[in-house]
Amino acid sequence: MSAETPALTVAGMRKRFGALEVLKGISLTANDGDVISILGSSGSGKSTFLRCINLLETPDEGVVTVAGETIKMRSRRGGRSEPADRRQVDRIRSELGMVFQSFNLWSHLTVLENLIEAPVHVQKRPRAECVDEARALLAKVGIADKWSAYPAHLSGGQQQRAAIARALAMRPKVMLFDEPTSALDPELVGEVLRVMRALAEEGRTMLVVTHEMGFARDVSTRVMFLDQGLVEAEGSPDELFGGSTSERFRQFISKERG
Amino acid sequence: MSDLAIFGFGEGGWGLALLEGAAMTLLVSACGLMIGAAIGGLVAWARLSGKRLAGAVGQAYAALFRGLPELLIVYFVYFGTSTLLTETALFFGHEGFVGVPAFAAGALAVGVISGAYQAEVFRAAYLAISRGELEAAISVGMNRALMARRIILPQVMRFALPGLGNLWQVALKDSSLISVTGLAELMRVSQVGAGSTHRPFAFYLGGAVLYLVMTVLTMRVFDIAEERATRGVRRAAV
Amino acid sequence: MDIDFITKTFIRLLGALPLTLSVWFLSVVLGALVAAGVTWMRVSGVRPLELFARAYVMVFRGTPLLIQLFIVYYGLASLPAVRASVFWPFLRDAFNCAVLSLALCTAGYQAEIFRGALLAVPPGQVEAARACGMSGLLMFRRVIFPIALRHALPPYSTEMISMIKATALVSLVTLWDVMSVALKIRNDTLITYLPLILAGAIYFVVNYVIGVAFLALERRLSPHLRPRPS
Repeated sequence: MSAETPALTVAGMRKRFGALEVLKGISLTANDGDVISILGSSGSGKSTFLRCINLLETPDEGVVTVAGETIKMRSRRGGRSEPADRRQVDRIRSELGMVFQSFNLWSHLTVLENLIEAPVHVQKRPRAECVDEARALLAKVGIADKWSAYPAHLSGGQQQRAAIARALAMRPKVMLFDEPTSALDPELVGEVLRVMRALAEEGRTMLVVTHEMGFARDVSTRVMFLDQGLVEAEGSPDELFGGSTSERFRQFISKERG
Repeated sequence: MSDLAIFGFGEGGWGLALLEGAAMTLLVSACGLMIGAAIGGLVAWARLSGKRLAGAVGQAYAALFRGLPELLIVYFVYFGTSTLLTETALFFGHEGFVGVPAFAAGALAVGVISGAYQAEVFRAAYLAISRGELEAAISVGMNRALMARRIILPQVMRFALPGLGNLWQVALKDSSLISVTGLAELMRVSQVGAGSTHRPFAFYLGGAVLYLVMTVLTMRVFDIAEERATRGVRRAAV
Repeated sequence: MDIDFITKTFIRLLGALPLTLSVWFLSVVLGALVAAGVTWMRVSGVRPLELFARAYVMVFRGTPLLIQLFIVYYGLASLPAVRASVFWPFLRDAFNCAVLSLALCTAGYQAEIFRGALLAVPPGQVEAARACGMSGLLMFRRVIFPIALRHALPPYSTEMISMIKATALVSLVTLWDVMSVALKIRNDTLITYLPLILAGAIYFVVNYVIGVAFLALERRLSPHLRPRPS
């Protein structure tokens, strides 16, 4: 990726579920090293937006470009669209690392096996290299000694850190976080946020859907506030948290503060 | 006679005989299920009692009758009870073979088998009752008999319904094995008809259709019973 | 009742065990293949295929095995169309009919087991696989199948045991399995209990071994379900 080509661009994304239009035209540009926090209340469409980027949900309209490569879509009956090239989708997904709210580690594999599964079988890299890298990543997120444990034997925070390591093992160009700490007990949230902060400081490109205002304010380079399917406010953390022009955003912040 | 006419109800038609066979199947299966409920209740009670010997006997019973072929059990019960009856009659001076009525032997065989599985259904249903509800019953001063009658039994029946519905289907199908005793249930009637008219395909297919109809209809009955029994119960979204 | 008679009877019964086991094995394997096909149809998303799969399961689970067996063995053999067809050399043999009929029956039950196992795979883990770029056969092979397999083992073990018990029915279509031999001995000697008890013991032991084998397999494949190591 060059300095000119953005890591990820999304143009005019729309998505409806039945009669309900959840995304009404959202655009985003993420350059290398951007850490974009996506905020919004429930139903604002933020998770749907993230899941449309790697096509876990199929957007009705919108162009997604990852490191200069545009995902080819074609239209179907009923005004819907679908990916035109399944192989391209699989390949682009392997360049995007996703971290889920419910971790979603594969229960029948050990932590280490979870990490090397996609690098070995999807990216077809040599196993020994994947194992070495996996061990290094586990050390980086702080659970090196858990490599042979099964996900069921780990705490929530450990599982999520393993899930982050699994996403990193794919050597992704952009990382997508879908409310990574929402399912964690409060005392475990910190360990995961620390790992995410370290990744941000390394210069990783990250899109983070979150409710953690502290992270949004202190760690991200940009903040995007979604309201009812549209981008209601966008800018640097200082701009938004320092007294935004958006009335809705100010209401949202005061509610989140409790 | 045409294929369809042999199933008719007129002269030479087997329709009535087949329906009577189906009725017999329903009857013997129902009796078997009830015998099974009695046995299953007993075995479940033994296993839940906490007494080691009773629990072991209960478990042995269940293991035994789940590990033996149903056909073997039918033969064993039929020949066995007949032999028992013959020898008892001999003791009282009556010579000759005394056969146990096929219906009784058949229902008993189905019941003995069903009981082994019903025990597990009842046991699981009992264990599914919330301990908190039992504690609440105790703390309002219910004695054990009252609690059993008003709280435990109704809930056991409610939790056991799905499992029992399944076991009823099983009993219906197991009852076809009673045909080897000569009882005129549906399988036997189909067999007799097939042999007598030399049309095995038509008769066995017709019998199968009747079994299917019985299965579907009675399952509907169970579904309705389940719906009524679980009203007011919050269930996880399916 | 002398030891000699008991031993002789027991050996005669054991002699029929290979037939019982071969009927069992072949019908289970054939049934698994058919069940895989039926399950595939069930989850295909193509409505006619789904309806066929559901009807198949309903028919084969809703009717007694005995009548299914008689339809194949007695029924099909009586149809002129069948006798003239290319299948006749296969279907005129009692063993083949028995295996076919048992296989079709167990396929109905196995299809339900497979379906339940697939439903038990946590959707989140499937999503994680898709998010990594897995799809199609790769995802099935690496994620869906392994997890579903572990959910299928307990009910599958029960079905294997049911099938051993089902083989006793082939005694009613002229095959000399353990059940037939036991009945013959009873008819010849008029001794009721012993042959049946010995036959029962053989069936019981076979079922016990199957149960233990599956338990061991489950344990081996599920280290992730065991309690946390200290």
